[in-house]
Amino acid sequence: MHEVIHFDKVSFRYPDEEKWILDELSFTVKRGERIVITGPSGCGKTTLLYICNRLYPDNCDGILSGSVKLFGKNNSSFIPGEINHRIATVFQDPDSQFCMQTVEEELAFTLENLHVKRDEMENRIRDVLALTDLTEFRYAVIQKLSGGQKQRIATACALIMKPEVLLLDEPLSHLDPFTAKKYVEWLDELQKKYAMTIVAIEHRLDLWGDFFERSISLNKNEIAPVLIKRESSKQKNDSLVVDKLQANTYLQETSFTLKRGEVAVLAGPNGSGKTTLLKALCKLIPSSGTVEPKLVGYVPQSPEFLFLTKKVQDEVGFGGGNNTEEMIARLQLLPIADSHPFAVSHGQKRRVAIAAMLSDGREVILMDEPTSGQDAKALSELFQLIDERAREGTTFLIVTHDMEFANCLADSILLMKDGQLTGKFDADIVWSDEQLLMDHHLLPPKEVIHREKCFA
Amino acid sequence: MKNALHRMNPSVKFLAITICMFTMAFFFDPWTPLVFWVGVLVLQFFFSEIDWKKWLLFMLPFFVTAFGYFWTTLVFAEDGSGSVVWSIWNLQITETQLNHALSLSFRVLAFSSLSLLFALTTNPVTFILSLMQQLKLSPKIAYGVMVGYQFLPVLKDEFILIGQAHRLRGASEEKNTLQRLLGVRRILIPMLAGAVRKAERAAFAMEARGFTGERRSSYFRVISIGKVDAALVILFLFVLVLSCTHIWWLG
Repeated sequence: MHEVIHFDKVSFRYPDEEKWILDELSFTVKRGERIVITGPSGCGKTTLLYICNRLYPDNCDGILSGSVKLFGKNNSSFIPGEINHRIATVFQDPDSQFCMQTVEEELAFTLENLHVKRDEMENRIRDVLALTDLTEFRYAVIQKLSGGQKQRIATACALIMKPEVLLLDEPLSHLDPFTAKKYVEWLDELQKKYAMTIVAIEHRLDLWGDFFERSISLNKNEIAPVLIKRESSKQKNDSLVVDKLQANTYLQETSFTLKRGEVAVLAGPNGSGKTTLLKALCKLIPSSGTVEPKLVGYVPQSPEFLFLTKKVQDEVGFGGGNNTEEMIARLQLLPIADSHPFAVSHGQKRRVAIAAMLSDGREVILMDEPTSGQDAKALSELFQLIDERAREGTTFLIVTHDMEFANCLADSILLMKDGQLTGKFDADIVWSDEQLLMDHHLLPPKEVIHREKCFA
Repeated sequence: MKNALHRMNPSVKFLAITICMFTMAFFFDPWTPLVFWVGVLVLQFFFSEIDWKKWLLFMLPFFVTAFGYFWTTLVFAEDGSGSVVWSIWNLQITETQLNHALSLSFRVLAFSSLSLLFALTTNPVTFILSLMQQLKLSPKIAYGVMVGYQFLPVLKDEFILIGQAHRLRGASEEKNTLQRLLGVRRILIPMLAGAVRKAERAAFAMEARGFTGERRSSYFRVISIGKVDAALVILFLFVLVLSCTHIWWLG
C-alpha cells in the first residue's frame, strides 16, 4: 500500500489573519483507506480538505509551509486541474455545487473539463449512472431533486472522473437522518465495488456507524461539551393554541397546544411541510383557522434575514418594546450592543434575533432548522440559549433533524408527514415506536439505542 | 417546419438579427421599418410556435412607447416645413413632421418585435452553449452565466423569505413607490451577502470538477449549423432587402 496523501509539518494561515489555522500538522493517508477528519467548526477541517484538492492556497493567497505530497509528488508540481480528477470532492451544500440544468449535462460538463473525447462520453455517463444506481435520474432537472438525491448526483459527478481519492465535505449536514443513513449505506457499497480512498470531514459521526477505519482529530485540546438531558420547565397554562390551522398551499388542517415554557420539536422528512406550518403559525402565508396568541416569533435558518438596522441595540428595540435594555443584558448582548448585526458570529446573530422577538412581546418562538451544519460547541450554546429562555417562560417550537439534540431538549415531539401533522407525542414514545420513526424518516438517538442494548 | 426558428442555431440567429438592426438604423423614412416589421411578423407566424398572447403582452409597452413617440414628435417637432397634411384645433401638422413621427414609431415596433422574436424562440442555455461553440466565447464567462441562471429560482425564494421575515419584524409596507424601492435595499443586502457565499461555493465546486476555464476540446451537446440556418438567414436577408428596396416596388 502506498501513500496517496502525505502532510509533513504543514502550517497554513489566511493572508489577513495572524493566527495559524493549521499548525505543524502531519498525517498520512494510504490507498484504499476510509478516513474521517473531525473537529469543531473553525478548527480548519475545510481548509485542510481544500489543501488536499489544491483549491488552497491559490484561491485565497494563503501562506502554506511544510510539505504536502500527493501521490508521492510535491503538490505544487501539478498543473491546474490535473489533481482535481485524481482527487474528487463532494461538497456540503447540495444547492450550490451544480452549474447545469440536468444530471446528464452536469456529468457531461465534468467530462468536457477533462477533455474526454465525445464518443467516449456516452459510455462513461451510462457506466457511472449504472454504478451509482442513478440511471433513472439521467434526464432529471437537478434543482427539482431532493437533498439526498442531489448529494448522490454530486458523488456520481465526482466518480465519473475515475478518481483515486474521494473527498467529502460534511456531505450529510443538509439531509434528514434517514436519508443520511441511506447515503452512507450507498457509499459503503460503492467503495467496496470501486475500491477508492475516502477522506471525509465531519463533526458528527453518529450517522456514519462504523463506516470509517480511522479518524484524525483536529481538536485543539478542547473537550466538546456534552449535552445533558434538560429538566422540563413546562408550566400549567396554555401558551400557544392552534385550532384548525390550514394553509391553501400544502398544509392540512392542524390543531395542537403548547404549554408555557414547553420546548417542542417539529420533525419529519424533507418537504413534509414543516416550514410551511411555521410560516402559517406566524401568519407569513395566508391561512385559515386560529392561532392564539396573535404575535408569534420566528427565527429563520439564517437569522440575518430578520435584520433591518445597523446596530444590535437598534435591532432589539426595532419593534418599539420598552424593555430593550433588560433584554440586551439578559441575552448577554452588552459586549456587542454597538456592533453591526451582520458582523457578529452566527450564534450571536441568533441571540440577537431571539432578543428582538422577545422584546416585541412574542412569547412563543418558532425556529427553523437552527441545528443544521452546527458543531458540538455551537449546539451546546444553542441548547443553553433555549433552556434559559424556556425557564423564563418562553415557549419554543423547533424544526430539526437532529434527534440527539431533540432528545436532550424536547418535552414533546410533533411529527409531520405529507403536509399533515401526525400528532404530538412524548419524546420517549417516539423513540420506542419503530414504525413511527420509519414513517417520518427519523432515527432514534444514540443514547436510546445504547439503553435498549443494555436492557436486551 | 413550424418550429424552424426554435431550432435555428442561436448564434446565427443572433448575427442575422444584429445585421438587420444595424441596417434598419440607416433608414429614416417611415415605410422601410413598417415593411420590415410586417416581414418579421410573417416570418414569426410561419416559422415559430410562440404563444401569441404572451407576445401581445410583451409588445404592449412597446405599442405604448411607439404611440408616445408618434404623438410627441407630431406636437413638439421643430421642423415645420412641407405642406400641411392634417390640422387639429390650431395644430398644423406638416408632411415632414408626420413622416418623422411615423418613422420613429415604426422603428420602435420593428426593433422590439425583432428582439422579441429572438427572446421567445431561444433557450438561454442553448444560446450560451452556441456562443461558446460558434462565436468562441470564453468558457469562464459562459459557465459563469449558466451558474447564475441556475441560481435565479433560489434567489427568488430567498427574496420572498426575507420579505416575509421583515414583515414579521413590523417593517411596514411603504405605500409610496419610491420608498418601496428604497425598502428593497434592505432585502438586497442580506441577499447579496448570501449570494457572495454561494458564488464562492459554486466556483470551488466547478474547480474541484477540473474546470480551469480553458477551451474545451470536445462538447457533449454539439450545437450545429445546418440547412435550416442557411434557409432562415436567406429569409431574414430577403425581408431586409425587400423592406430596404420598397421604393422601387411600392412606387
